[in-house]
Amino acid sequence: MKSTFSILNVVIACSAGLVVLLGYFIPALANIREILLQWAVILAGFALLAGVINLLSVHFKKIGKGKIGGIYSLILILSFIAAVILFGVNGPDGSWSMLLFNSVSVPVESTLMALLTVVLAYAAIRSLRKGVSWYSILFLVTAILVLLGLAPIYGLGEIPALKELREWINGVPIVAGARGILIGVALGSIAAGLRILMGVDRPYSG
Amino acid sequence: MNLNELVVRLPDALFILVFLGMIIVFFFLGRKRTIRKFREIPAFAHLKRSVGLSVEAGTRVHFSLGRGGISGLTAGIGLVGLTLLDRIARATSSSDRPPVATSGEGTLAILSQDVLQSAYRNCNVEGQYEPDAGRLTGVTPFSYAAGAMAAIKDEQVSTNILLGNFGSEAALIVDAGEQSGGLIIGGTDNIATQAVLYAMAQEPLIGEEAYASGAYLGAGPAHIASLRAQDILRWVIAAIILLGALAKLVGLL
Repeated sequence: MKSTFSILNVVIACSAGLVVLLGYFIPALANIREILLQWAVILAGFALLAGVINLLSVHFKKIGKGKIGGIYSLILILSFIAAVILFGVNGPDGSWSMLLFNSVSVPVESTLMALLTVVLAYAAIRSLRKGVSWYSILFLVTAILVLLGLAPIYGLGEIPALKELREWINGVPIVAGARGILIGVALGSIAAGLRILMGVDRPYSG
Repeated sequence: MNLNELVVRLPDALFILVFLGMIIVFFFLGRKRTIRKFREIPAFAHLKRSVGLSVEAGTRVHFSLGRGGISGLTAGIGLVGLTLLDRIARATSSSDRPPVATSGEGTLAILSQDVLQSAYRNCNVEGQYEPDAGRLTGVTPFSYAAGAMAAIKDEQVSTNILLGNFGSEAALIVDAGEQSGGLIIGGTDNIATQAVLYAMAQEPLIGEEAYASGAYLGAGPAHIASLRAQDILRWVIAAIILLGALAKLVGLL
C-alpha cells in the first residue's frame, strides 16, 4: 500500500513537472501549465499556514516542557495572537495595524540589520585569523579598495584614482567572476530540476 | 504563443534535451563503475566526519534550507538542499538526536518534514521522526534568522549546514553556529551571500559546488551523471564565451 502511494506520488509529481516544462514550448499545453502554476500558488499559501501552525506548536511544546527561554516562546505566541486579532479587526492597512508594524516590526528588523553590519565587519577581520592565504588577502584588499572608492576619505574627499579603480573592479573582475558563478548555478539548477523530472530526486514521500 | 516566440524558445528546448540526453548517457555508462574520482572539495570530507562525530556525541545536525521556496528562480538550490537533508537524515538515523531543519518558507518547511519522515521510514526507524524537526522559523529574512539562531542555541547543535537561498541574514545564522562551536558549511545561489559565507563559514561552497552535494555524498549514479553533464556543458559554455569575445576582438561580430 505504502509503495503504491509512493509510486502514485512520483507519477503525479513527474507528470505535473513535465507538463509545466512542455507548456513553455508547446502552445497547446500553455493553458494546463497556467492552471498547474495557479494550483502551486494556492498550495504555497496553505503551506505557509501549515508552517505557522508548526511554528506555534514548537513554541507551545517549549513552554510545556519548561525549557530555558520558554518566556520568549510565550511572548511569541501572545504577540502572534495579538497581531492576528489586530490585523483581522483593523485590516492590513489600518492605522493600528500600521502603528504596530512601524513601532515593533520595523525597529526589530532594523536592529538586526545594524547587528549584521557589525557581524560582517568582524567576519572580514576574522577571515584572516582562520589562516592567511592569497585568497583571503585578495578578498580583504578588494573589499577595502571598493569601500575606499565608494566613500570619501576624511580630509581628502573623493580620490578620482580610487573611484576609477573601484569602477574597474566592479566592471571587470567582479562581473566576470559573478557570471562564471551564475553559469554554474544555472547549470546546477537545471540538473536538479531534470533529476526531479526523472524521478531520481524525490523531495516528497516518493 | 506565436511562431516567433516558439522560434525564440527552440534553443532553450534543445539545450534542455541535450542536457537530459547527456545525463541519461552518462548514467548508463557509469552504472558499473565502482571507483569514481572527483576533484576534492574539503567541505564534503569535513561534513561526513562531522556528521559521524555528531552521531557518536549525541548532538544534533542543524540544516538551514533558506527562504527560496520551490517555485521560481531560487527553487533549484532549495531542492538540492532537500536532497542533502535526506542524505543527512539517513546518515544520522542511528542517532538519538535527529537533525533539525529550519526554513523561512512554508513549502520548504513542509517538504523538510516529509523528507525527514521518508528518510526514517526507509531506514526502518520511523519512530525516531519528530514533526517539529522540520520547522518554519519566520517568514521575513531576519525573523527567519532569529528563529534559526534560537534553534542552534537550544538544540545542542554541533554541525550546521546552510544550503538554500539566503540573503545577508545568513551571516547571523553562521555567527550563532560559530558561537555554538560546531562545523559550519554554507552554500547558496545568491552571489552576494556567497561572499558573506566565504568570509564567515568554515567550509564555504562556491558556485556549482553546492549543487554537487548529491554526487559527493553518494546519492547515486544519476547524481554523478548529472555532475559530469554539468561539467562538460560548463566547459562548452566557457569556450563559446571565449570564442565570442575573440571574434568580437578581431571584428567578426
